[in-house]
Amino acid sequence: MSSDPKSWVTPQGHRAVRTLRVKDEHLSRVLAGKDFLLFDGAMGTQLQARGLAAGEVPELLCLTNPDQIREIHASYVAAGSEVVTTNTFGANAMKLGEAATVEQIFDAAISCARASGARYVAADIGPTGALLQPMGTLAFDEAYELFAQQVRAADAAGADLFIIETMADLAEAKAALLAVKENSDLPAFVTMTFDEDGRTFLGTTPEVAAVTLSALGADVLGINCSLGPEDVAPLIERMLPWASCPVMAQANAGLPHVHEGKTYYSIKPLEYSHAVKRMVRAGVSIIGGCCGTSPEFIAQEKNLLVDRTPAGRALNSHFTVTSAQQLVALAPGEVGVIGERINPTGKKRLKEALRSGNHDYVMSEAINQANAGAQILDVNAGLPEIDEKATLVRLVSELSGVTTLPLQIDSADPEAIEAAVRAYPGKALINSCNGKQEMLETVLPIAKHYGCAIVGLTLDEDGIPPTAEGRLAVARKIVAAADALGIPRQDVVIDCLTMAASTDQTQPREIIEAVRLVKRELPGVRTVLGVSNVSFGMPYRMLVNATFLTACFGAGLDLAIVNPLSERYQDAYAAWRALTGEDVNAQAYIETYAGRTDGVVATASGAAAAPAVGGSVGAKAPATAEERIRDLVLTGRKEAVPEEVRTLVGDDDASHDVMYAINEVLIPALDEVGERFEKGTFFLPQLMASAEAAKAGFNVLRELSAGSGMESKGTIALATVKGDIHDIGKNIVRMLLENYGYDVIDLGRDVDPQLVADTVVEHHIKLAGLSALMTTTVPAMAETIQLLHVQAPWCKVIVGGAVLNPEYAEMVGADYYAKDAAESARIAGEVLG
Amino acid sequence: MALMVGQLKVDSVDRAEVLRYLGHRGQEVTPELETRLAESVARCLEVARPRACLRAFDVAERTVSETGVPELRLAECALRLEGTSIAEHLAGAVAVGVMAVTLGVGVDQELRRLSLTDPLGQVLFDAAATAAIERAADAAEALLVADAAARGLYTNWRFSPGYGDLPLSCQPTLLAALDAQRRLGVTLTPSLLMVPTKSVTAVVGYFEVPQKGARPGCSACNLRDWCTLRRAGTPCTGGAKE
Repeated sequence: MSSDPKSWVTPQGHRAVRTLRVKDEHLSRVLAGKDFLLFDGAMGTQLQARGLAAGEVPELLCLTNPDQIREIHASYVAAGSEVVTTNTFGANAMKLGEAATVEQIFDAAISCARASGARYVAADIGPTGALLQPMGTLAFDEAYELFAQQVRAADAAGADLFIIETMADLAEAKAALLAVKENSDLPAFVTMTFDEDGRTFLGTTPEVAAVTLSALGADVLGINCSLGPEDVAPLIERMLPWASCPVMAQANAGLPHVHEGKTYYSIKPLEYSHAVKRMVRAGVSIIGGCCGTSPEFIAQEKNLLVDRTPAGRALNSHFTVTSAQQLVALAPGEVGVIGERINPTGKKRLKEALRSGNHDYVMSEAINQANAGAQILDVNAGLPEIDEKATLVRLVSELSGVTTLPLQIDSADPEAIEAAVRAYPGKALINSCNGKQEMLETVLPIAKHYGCAIVGLTLDEDGIPPTAEGRLAVARKIVAAADALGIPRQDVVIDCLTMAASTDQTQPREIIEAVRLVKRELPGVRTVLGVSNVSFGMPYRMLVNATFLTACFGAGLDLAIVNPLSERYQDAYAAWRALTGEDVNAQAYIETYAGRTDGVVATASGAAAAPAVGGSVGAKAPATAEERIRDLVLTGRKEAVPEEVRTLVGDDDASHDVMYAINEVLIPALDEVGERFEKGTFFLPQLMASAEAAKAGFNVLRELSAGSGMESKGTIALATVKGDIHDIGKNIVRMLLENYGYDVIDLGRDVDPQLVADTVVEHHIKLAGLSALMTTTVPAMAETIQLLHVQAPWCKVIVGGAVLNPEYAEMVGADYYAKDAAESARIAGEVLG
Repeated sequence: MALMVGQLKVDSVDRAEVLRYLGHRGQEVTPELETRLAESVARCLEVARPRACLRAFDVAERTVSETGVPELRLAECALRLEGTSIAEHLAGAVAVGVMAVTLGVGVDQELRRLSLTDPLGQVLFDAAATAAIERAADAAEALLVADAAARGLYTNWRFSPGYGDLPLSCQPTLLAALDAQRRLGVTLTPSLLMVPTKSVTAVVGYFEVPQKGARPGCSACNLRDWCTLRRAGTPCTGGAKE
């Protein structure tokens, strides 16, 4: 192992520090923000003016009509463009298909650009044309491969730099940028496109884009396409303070409109450059044009740059993390809360959820923490008996679907960390690295390469130093290594490690002192603590925790990893922010706490929910708990079910047991619901509301029996077939089956046939359910069934979905056809009992 | 008409239509369900960003392929409309209005969130979104009706890839002709499904004479809420005001 940080690589072998190949001194100065750079304008608009038919593939013209492409480039060079952008926007293997190879197009396109006499040739990379998972079906790795092929082709053909543009999906922009960083040493410019409401189609804001892409190592970032320059200006101004690299703008010439059969854009060249001037004054140093612009626009922009130098820019020094849709930024001195609940250590239900692969509970924990005010969520999937890497990757994707909070990727396994942060659409916080040389050399490169913030624990080969000075020494080592890799100080978060007061009463003071020392001796660096350990072994722990937290805030603690649902924490956090003025005029504090007394606190949360129980059942409430539960299930009112089920089961010997509640109460109620649905007295939402109510009951029983009293009736695998993304029907079936006591392994949508077969084999599953909504995906269903029949002949297959009928089902080789969810449950009963 | 891009105003959906998508056939709708339904509709209208791309092309020629399939070609457009059903739909048309409409991926993000947390909520939201995209498509179609009227032409109704024997394989070119990925964020999966899933593509014929049965009259017309012709007192039916 080498101790020169410049040679450190991630577990996947990616170099942390990149050495750029920059064509000349001017471009070096551009990348340092010292010189302006003038790009070109629209290619598509120019091609259409020359007769390109709508819907034709413009990239093929590089092969069929290179003179025309070269002419357009040359007209931009004549107008003053220093950079021309190759005609390769959609030139990826998926879009080109059989028409040409990626290499052919880039070879030809770069020749055309080079022949124009331009100073620099920018290889253009546009979006893949497909939406990435989880909204679409394209895997992150597949998108990366498409981009990587373009990057290698363009580099080999002699491009001078890359321009990744018109990105609406931050994950896709990330895949493209990683493809450049990992396959070329040329500079990467990245621009995204925004809508009138200041977000991309997928909800990314300019701030999120700037923070994420500059952390990820974009050499230039900015905005293209979108809107006219007047409307792009305020968006680019929101980017500027967050971008640690030069910022570029290539706006449209306003909106297209038509006059006598010809398309015109609303903004004229002079007006355009006037709006661009505002952006240049604000600090934009690379300009050009997008849809609707022409050489005249570029000529005006050239005039604009005469006798100017790039404006100075003030950058924020906040600690930042992002999700695709949300920025969390803490200015120096501001405090933040990281939710600790998604960590199986000592949490039985979470362990069960991770083991079973049924993540409903994990999702509810995320939502509850977000509602309680967490700003970042810790995600840990460290259980010895599961595949931590795969689970972590899946959890990160699912959590990104239910919350916009940025995530803290928590693992001791560097490979799992790298897998999770690679496809994460944002700037994650990694938890953690420490002072051990081996960890420094593997985890810090991950943080650098993928643009993450990083938690550094103050422990090393000799363990946790007992003194504050000892902890500071380890922190120095970590920060020095991070500095050497070029990780900004504000992205480094030192954890001085909380120890229990009950084992060593000197520790709390040492920890508080360590926080103070780190903040003083390592300026810019942030600190974090997992607080609750301090009270281990003591009674009324929350009081000790909150007191310790307040003391740590006083010493300069920036981030606390806590259970955000604990009111004592919320109290300490809110009071601290009121005292420091972070909560301006203590407004938030007063709103929350006006009228609060200690007496109220203890009962507040329980009291609110209670009246609903009696109230909703009302005067004509049925006499027995059995009847009341049946009534609640049939009317689909879930709120009161848990209480009634507890009453039914009770805790004394005379009470009914769990199996009684299931087999004699909940299941018969569900059967009755099924019958009513069958007869048409209930329609789908009623069926589902009843299933929800029953589920609330099952959840209580599962808790009460602590896993022992409830036997599974069998396991069923469910999937929406490859190519199909309509999963509602499958989700309804899953819900119903779960409520009949089956374990369901839900493989999701767009599922590869082999994954279905592997899962069925691995768990020796006797029943698999497949759904397809579109005729185009029925062949994938047939393929999956065929594979199952060969690899798992014991497994029966049930199919359903809008396009299917009994004949079609038989044709694709299914054993059963279910016309609706209720029928699926009946078939499951027939097959599994 | 050359390319037109715009936001559409969809601020309500028909409750009865949402219920119909949910398989409702007169069953009792409890107050609880009514509340949840109203919440789903409100949430859908909040996250949806209905937008459309429209463009009209003149009909260039009508041919028949070697296998006997009719094919209609458009001027200045690579889109070819194949099949007997579309040939009938566009028989006599002098131009074709092409449209792509979407509610945006925010709706899919919400559907995914609900799929992980609230199955019933997902079903209700999906029904609301299906009703909303139909409304958005009506609004877009109304713009084509107005465009045709400006040229003294009359339209029939929208016809989508996948109807009859008009193959889904025309989707990539149709979307490319409207630059729909860049303008609307509409993409295709390898199996030619659109994402955002609440998206509609369609073509509408432009004719020199009013089309029988094309429009049932303003009072029963789905496009009435957006129709500029009706507002101007010159309905597309060509006849008297209704």
